[in-house]
Amino acid sequence: MTDWNAMTDAEFRKEVRQFFEADYPEELRHLPHRPKFAEVEHWHRKLHAKGWVAPAWPAEYGGMGLSASKLMIFYEEQQRWGVNRGRDMGIQMVGPLIIKFGTQKQKDYWLPRILSCEDIWCQGYSEPGAGSDLANLRTRAEIDGDDFVINGQKIWTTMAHDATHIFMLVRTDPDTPKKQQGISFLLAPMDQPGVDVRTITTLSGETEFCEVFFDNARTPRENLVGELNKGWTMAKALLSFERIFMGSPSLAQNALGQLENFARGRGAFDDPVFRDRFAQAALDVEDHAALYSRFADQLKRGETLGADVSMLKIWVTECFQRITELMIEAAGPDGGTIGPLQVGNVGVDVLASFYKARPATIYGGSNEIQRNILSKAVLGLPS
Amino acid sequence: MLSSDQEDLRLLRESARTLFERAGGSARARKLRDAGGGWDADMVRELAEAGVFGVTVPEDNGGLGMGLAAGGVIAEEVGRVIAPEPVVVTVALSLGLLRRLCPEHARMEQLVSGETVLPVAWQERGPNGGPAEASCRYADGKLNGSKAWVVGASGAQGFLVVAEGDAGPVLVLTEVGADGLSVEGRRQADGSAMDELSFSGTPAEELASGDAVRNALAEAINDATALTAAELVGLSARVFEISLEYIKAREQFDKPIGSFQVIQHRAVDLNVMLEIAQSGVREVLGLMDDETDPKARARLASRAKARAVTTAKKITRDAIQMHGAVGYTDEFDIGLYLNRSLVLSAWLGDDAYHRRIWFETREEEGAAQ
Repeated sequence: MTDWNAMTDAEFRKEVRQFFEADYPEELRHLPHRPKFAEVEHWHRKLHAKGWVAPAWPAEYGGMGLSASKLMIFYEEQQRWGVNRGRDMGIQMVGPLIIKFGTQKQKDYWLPRILSCEDIWCQGYSEPGAGSDLANLRTRAEIDGDDFVINGQKIWTTMAHDATHIFMLVRTDPDTPKKQQGISFLLAPMDQPGVDVRTITTLSGETEFCEVFFDNARTPRENLVGELNKGWTMAKALLSFERIFMGSPSLAQNALGQLENFARGRGAFDDPVFRDRFAQAALDVEDHAALYSRFADQLKRGETLGADVSMLKIWVTECFQRITELMIEAAGPDGGTIGPLQVGNVGVDVLASFYKARPATIYGGSNEIQRNILSKAVLGLPS
Repeated sequence: MLSSDQEDLRLLRESARTLFERAGGSARARKLRDAGGGWDADMVRELAEAGVFGVTVPEDNGGLGMGLAAGGVIAEEVGRVIAPEPVVVTVALSLGLLRRLCPEHARMEQLVSGETVLPVAWQERGPNGGPAEASCRYADGKLNGSKAWVVGASGAQGFLVVAEGDAGPVLVLTEVGADGLSVEGRRQADGSAMDELSFSGTPAEELASGDAVRNALAEAINDATALTAAELVGLSARVFEISLEYIKAREQFDKPIGSFQVIQHRAVDLNVMLEIAQSGVREVLGLMDDETDPKARARLASRAKARAVTTAKKITRDAIQMHGAVGYTDEFDIGLYLNRSLVLSAWLGDDAYHRRIWFETREEEGAAQ
């Protein structure tokens, strides 16, 4: 077992870069959509054979055991080369939760299956009445013999139609004084009569989101992770790393690179007004990257991030949207055209970028929710 | 030049802040403005003793030998208390020229020790009132012509003038009170003056000439631009703090106005802008310390000033709105900050100007590759 953390940052970066550049399949670079598992399976096998599926997990559970600073480098290289994250809900969300709160039996059973992608996971958090106000969730799980019986509905469940299991927040006690209490964290198989999945077609015509209906679906009681009615705090404990990635500059940086090539090809820079707006967007991205590295350095020093990290997400997602608007502007009369627009010998899919930027200000805590958090937790403004 | 390390910068920030706060903070700026503008000569000496003016001057020449990143720390603190002393002018322009062109000159030491202030005059006003090509001449030891937008003339002992010589640009030194020199001040929003100099056979001492002068001037302007950006960041940070305290304290409808979501979200947006500006400008100063290519340094300086001006504009204007009617009175400090930001934003180019320079420089760099 290699001790990656004993390497210098530069050595480690080189190692990671070489592996991606040599082994990552060219046709999967900068994939514009979320793949089904079958599409990325050959890449997953390579990662698995190398033992690199779970960079953040401790080595004893089959992860790379990377320190915060090495982990940042790993992700930076992943983004740099356009390496798809694959179907990583199990790796990013379920695994860490089981490692932290699960029983030995749960660890022994689930973790190897997550690493091998024998089980593919989707996340059942949001519901029609529980979006920004997630704690309002109503999907019920009631104990019946050795099982939980689940009734209710989840929505915006990414790639549920290509998942074998769902990890979910469910209401196990409807009579608590605070709605954050009475919520539990449950694992359930998807392949059973009581589970019905319907895809949702988005504005861009993609079907990566789903609705999942539970009608007396069952899961064994041993699939409860952590204590009964303690799911809310557990789910929140996982968010620290998640929060900086929501604010990563990479989406906006990639879009800006595309915008520049496209605008240059189309002669949009001949217009001084366009030039000024491009400069604004480009500087917005550069200065955001400066703030991002301040937070990343904090993580690399082993400090935990405060609520102020939310500001990264607000800035970069709104910036991403402005960049894609500029792409449409540069496209002129082609601004409503579906599919790649040819500039020189490359195609730029202007609308795909535009659509991709829309939900960025909604998911992961809408930007309005992030502003509420910052105003209370960082600025100390009164209720 | 090495960028100073984080701990040194933290200590420097602490001591600069203490010095300015002990001297009276923004109340001192108000007092000086009410007294007719200008600055406090004792404060200049005190700053000099703390090493402020020599922050980027090599230790061999009596300075602290730190980089622009350290200069930025000081400039931010100057901005926080809107101190009118010519700190950026002296650090980036006067000493920026002398340390590059004639580091052995006796005036170096006097500038570092605060005994003298020598504003730099290089821009000229054209017939339409805007900036024009330089035409002020220097020949046979005499200056003829005029210069505009000179910052720091009140209380100065002389001027460093960049003029046209027989063989390209020359840097000359002329003294206040020299024959044929007239100084006309134009009062600025913050009570300071920006001066127009005119020379008619004015005697001056030649310090350097040729391309070296042109290059040194360009670098000094880059430094001054970036440090002014840092000054605006410090100013914006203080304006945000004052406004945040105000919306927590001011009550309407029996609640602090800071409890209203529309005010909260506005405050958050200002806070985010401020953090972006602070990180961006600090990063630029560090990068400029390690960068030797003049084009890259010019691009970086423009990035900093564009960001700082956009941020200061938004924060100072929104601060007035958050204060409501009292924000429009002279009694509240918020207006002093707004007025100072107007002057610092216009000097050396505003945000629209610097986005243009940033874009053009980046295109030139791209074409050269």
